[in-house]
Amino acid sequence: MTALLTIRGLTRDFGGFRAVDGVDLDVAQGAIHSVIGPNGAGKSTLFSLITGERRPSAGTVRFAGRDLTGRAPHAVTRAGLAKAFQTTSIFPRLTVGESVCAALLARNTQFKLLRSRSKAGIRAEAETICGSLGLADHIHLPGSVLSHGDQRALEVALALATAPRLLLLDEPTAGMSPFETKRVVDQITGLARERGLTVLFSEHDLDTVFSISDEVTVMHQGRVLAHGPAAEVRANDEVMAVYLGSEP
Amino acid sequence: MNTFVTETVSILTNAAMLFVVAAGLTLVFGALRLINMAHGSLFMVGALTVASLASGLTGGWGFAVALIAAVGLCAALGAGIEISILRRLHDREPLAQLLATFALVLVAADLAQRVWGTSDRTVATPVAGRFGVGGAVVPEYDLVVIGIAAAVALGLWLLLTRTATGWRVRAAVEDPETLSVGGTNLALLRTSVFALGAGLAGLAGAAIAPLESVGPGLDTQIIVAAFIVTVVGGLGSVVGAALGAVVIATVEGLGTLWVPSYASSAGYLVMILVLAVRPWGLFGTPDR
Amino acid sequence: MTVLEEKIPPAAARPAPRPAARVLPLLAGAAVLALLAAAPYLVTVSAILSLEQVAAFAVFAVAANLLIGQAGLVSFGQGVFFGLGAYTVTLGWEHAGLSFWEGFALAPVLGAAAAALIGLVALRARTLYFALITLAFSQLFYQLVEQNTGFTGGANGVFAPVVPAWMESPVDGYLTLLGIAVAALLVLWWLYRSDFGLLLRASRENRARVQALGTSVYRLHLLAFTVSGAFCSLAGAMFVVYNQGSNAELFDWTTSGQAVLMSVIGGMYTFAGPIVGAFVYQFGHDWLVRYVSDWQLVLGGVLLLVVILRPDGLAGAIRRPGRLSLSSRLNLPSRPRGRR
Repeated sequence: MTALLTIRGLTRDFGGFRAVDGVDLDVAQGAIHSVIGPNGAGKSTLFSLITGERRPSAGTVRFAGRDLTGRAPHAVTRAGLAKAFQTTSIFPRLTVGESVCAALLARNTQFKLLRSRSKAGIRAEAETICGSLGLADHIHLPGSVLSHGDQRALEVALALATAPRLLLLDEPTAGMSPFETKRVVDQITGLARERGLTVLFSEHDLDTVFSISDEVTVMHQGRVLAHGPAAEVRANDEVMAVYLGSEP
Repeated sequence: MNTFVTETVSILTNAAMLFVVAAGLTLVFGALRLINMAHGSLFMVGALTVASLASGLTGGWGFAVALIAAVGLCAALGAGIEISILRRLHDREPLAQLLATFALVLVAADLAQRVWGTSDRTVATPVAGRFGVGGAVVPEYDLVVIGIAAAVALGLWLLLTRTATGWRVRAAVEDPETLSVGGTNLALLRTSVFALGAGLAGLAGAAIAPLESVGPGLDTQIIVAAFIVTVVGGLGSVVGAALGAVVIATVEGLGTLWVPSYASSAGYLVMILVLAVRPWGLFGTPDR
Repeated sequence: MTVLEEKIPPAAARPAPRPAARVLPLLAGAAVLALLAAAPYLVTVSAILSLEQVAAFAVFAVAANLLIGQAGLVSFGQGVFFGLGAYTVTLGWEHAGLSFWEGFALAPVLGAAAAALIGLVALRARTLYFALITLAFSQLFYQLVEQNTGFTGGANGVFAPVVPAWMESPVDGYLTLLGIAVAALLVLWWLYRSDFGLLLRASRENRARVQALGTSVYRLHLLAFTVSGAFCSLAGAMFVVYNQGSNAELFDWTTSGQAVLMSVIGGMYTFAGPIVGAFVYQFGHDWLVRYVSDWQLVLGGVLLLVVILRPDGLAGAIRRPGRLSLSSRLNLPSRPRGRR
C-alpha cells in the first residue's frame, strides 16, 4: 500500500545551520503517526517544510501522488493537507462560529465569495465541527475570551474545516493540564477513526505518543534516528538514551 | 568635467542629508518595529531650531552650537514621545503605533506653526567659502554636510558593530524576548534608540537648513523622501539607507538635469520598481 | 495569552443574539435616514452644505475602511482614487464634453482600474511597507497633477460648473447626494455581510492562518483594494457636486489621512463607524474652526486619545457603553512574536 505522504531527503538550512537533514518519512493512509524528539530536533521546521510555510533547501514532498515540494501554503491546504498551529493561531475578534465558517469558506474563489452569504448549510456544518470538538456552547463567543484548551480545540476545528485527508498537529497538547490532554487525545483518535483521517503530529508527552500512535518517527539534530511501529520504537534503547540521557 | 564635479557634489550633499534622515528612521524600525511618521516633523524641528538660533549665533562656531542644540532638542523630544506615548502602545498591533505617530505629525505641525510662525525662513551659510576641485568650484558647506553624514555613518557602524549597546540593538531586531531574559533593560534600550533616531532627524534638518528654505510643509516633503529611501534600501538596514540615499539622490539629481518637470516623481518610480521586484527593499529581510 | 487567562474566567455558554437585538440597529438607521432626508427643513443652508460633504466623505470613509478596518490594510493612499474620481468628472467635462452623469459613471470604473494596477504592486508589500507605498502613491499623484498645468490645471485645479441645473441648489444637490450615498452604502453593507467580508476580516485577524486554510490572501486583498478604489472614486465624483470643481490636494496625503482619521475615530471594526467618523470630522471641523485656529492640534489630539484609550472608536463606545478601555483592550490581539 502506497503511503499517503512520502518525504525523501528533505533538508533545510538556515545560513550555516542545518535544521532538517535528509529526512525520509512515510505516513500510511488512515494511520496516526507521531514525530518525537528533543527540543531543537527539527520537528517544527520539518512540519513547516511540509505545509509550505518554508521552502526546503533540498528534498521532495509527495502527497496523494502529487508533488507538493515548496508549494505555497494555500496550495498545500487545497491539496488536502491541513495543519493546526503550535502556537494558537486563531481569529481573536471573530466568534467561534464565524471563525469556522471562514475556514469553511476559505477554499472558495473570490468571485463566489462576493456573490454569496453564508448559507444555512455552511452554518450547519460549522456547528457540527464545533460539536465534535466540544465547542458547541461557545459558538457565539469571540475567540479571544476562550480558555486555552478551548482555543486549542478551535485550532483543530479550523484545520478540520478544510476537509483534509491528512491533519498535521504541531504539539497539540503543549501546555495543557492532564484533563485537557486527555480531551484532546480522545478527540484526535475519535476524529481519525470516524472520518478516516490520517494524523501526523509532533509531541513531547511520550505517554500520549505511545498510547495512540500507530507509527512513531524519532528525530534528533535534524535527522531521523529511528522509525517504526510504536511498540518497537519504545523498546529502542538508542531512542531512550537520546531522550532521557543515560537513564534506562 | 566641471559640471560633472559640481553635479556629483550636489548629489552627494543631497544623498548625505537623505542618509542621515533615513538612518534614523530605519534604526527605529529595525529595533522597535515601528514606523515613525513623525520623523519628518522632528527633521523640521531641527531645521527650525537652527533657523531661529542662527540669527543670534553667527559664524562657523555659532552654527555648530545651534546644530548641537537642535540635535539635543530633537533627541529629548524623541525620548519624551517614546516614554509618554509609544511605550503604552508597544504591545498593540503596528497600526496603533502608526496612527499615534500620524497623530503626532498633526500636533507637531500645528505647534511648530505656533512657535515659529508660518513664513519660510532662510539661514545664512555658516561656511561661505568655495572650494576649488580641479577647475570646478564647489560650496564649502556642501562638503561640511557630506562630512557630517560620513561621520554619522562611521559612528553608527562603530556603535552597531563594536559596542555592547550596538549588539543589543541588533539583537533586539532579531529576538527581543531572549534579550530581555538576558537582563537587558528593554525599555531603556527602546527609548534610547528612538531618541537616537530623533536626534538623527534633527541633525539632518539642522545641517540642511542653510541650503533650503525652512518652513511649514518641510515635514511632509522630507518624510515621503525618507520613506522612499528607507523602503528602497530595506527597512532596518543602515547600509540599505546609505545605498538608497545615493540611488534616490542620483536619480533625482539626474532627473532635474534631463527631465526637470518630472524630476520629483523620479524617486517614486524607483521605489515602485524596486518593490515590484523585491518587496522588502534592497537590504531588507523577506518574510518566507 | 496567559494574562488573558488570569483576568477573564472561562467563558460561560452564551445563547445566540435574540432577533430583537438585530432589528434595533436597523430601526435606528431608518430613523437617522428620515432625519437626514428632512434636514433641509430643519437646519441652515451652511449645515446643508456640510452635509453634502459628509455624504461624500461617508462613502469615502466606508470604502477606505474596507481596507483599513476590514482587511487590516492601512492605506494612506485612498486620496489617489478620491482625486481621480473628482478629476474624472471635471476634466471629462472640460476636455471631453462629458455630462455630469457620464463622468460620474466613469469615475468608479477608472478608480477600479487604477486600484487594480496600484494594488498589484502595493499589495506585494507587508503591513508597514504597504502603508508607506500607498502614501508615496498619494504624493506622487498629487505632484503629477499639480505640475501638469496644461492638462489638469495644475495647482489652481479645475473649476467646472458641470453639475446639472436641477441639482444646483444646495438642497437639491444634497438630497441627490444623500440618495447616492445611501445606495452606495447599501452595496458596501451587503459586501460587509457577505462571505467575502467575513474572509476579509479573518485575514485581518490572522493572515497566515487564512493563507494556510486555502485562500490566496494576496488575491483577496487585491479584490478588496479594487472595490475600495472604485467607491473612493465614486465619493470623489460626489464631492464635485459640493466643490464645483477639483483641486490637486484631493490626491495628497492629507486627504488620504482624512479617510484614515474618520475610520479610526468613528470605529474601524464596525460597518457604520466610518460614517459616524465622517459626521464627527466634518461638523467638528466646522464648529472648531470658528473658535479655535488649531484645528490640526485638536484633530491630532483626538486621534491620539482614541488610539490610546478607545481603539474601537466612537462606534465601539456606543456598542459597549461604560466598558473600561482596559477590558476592551484585552480583547485585541497582542503582537505576534518574531518577524512581521
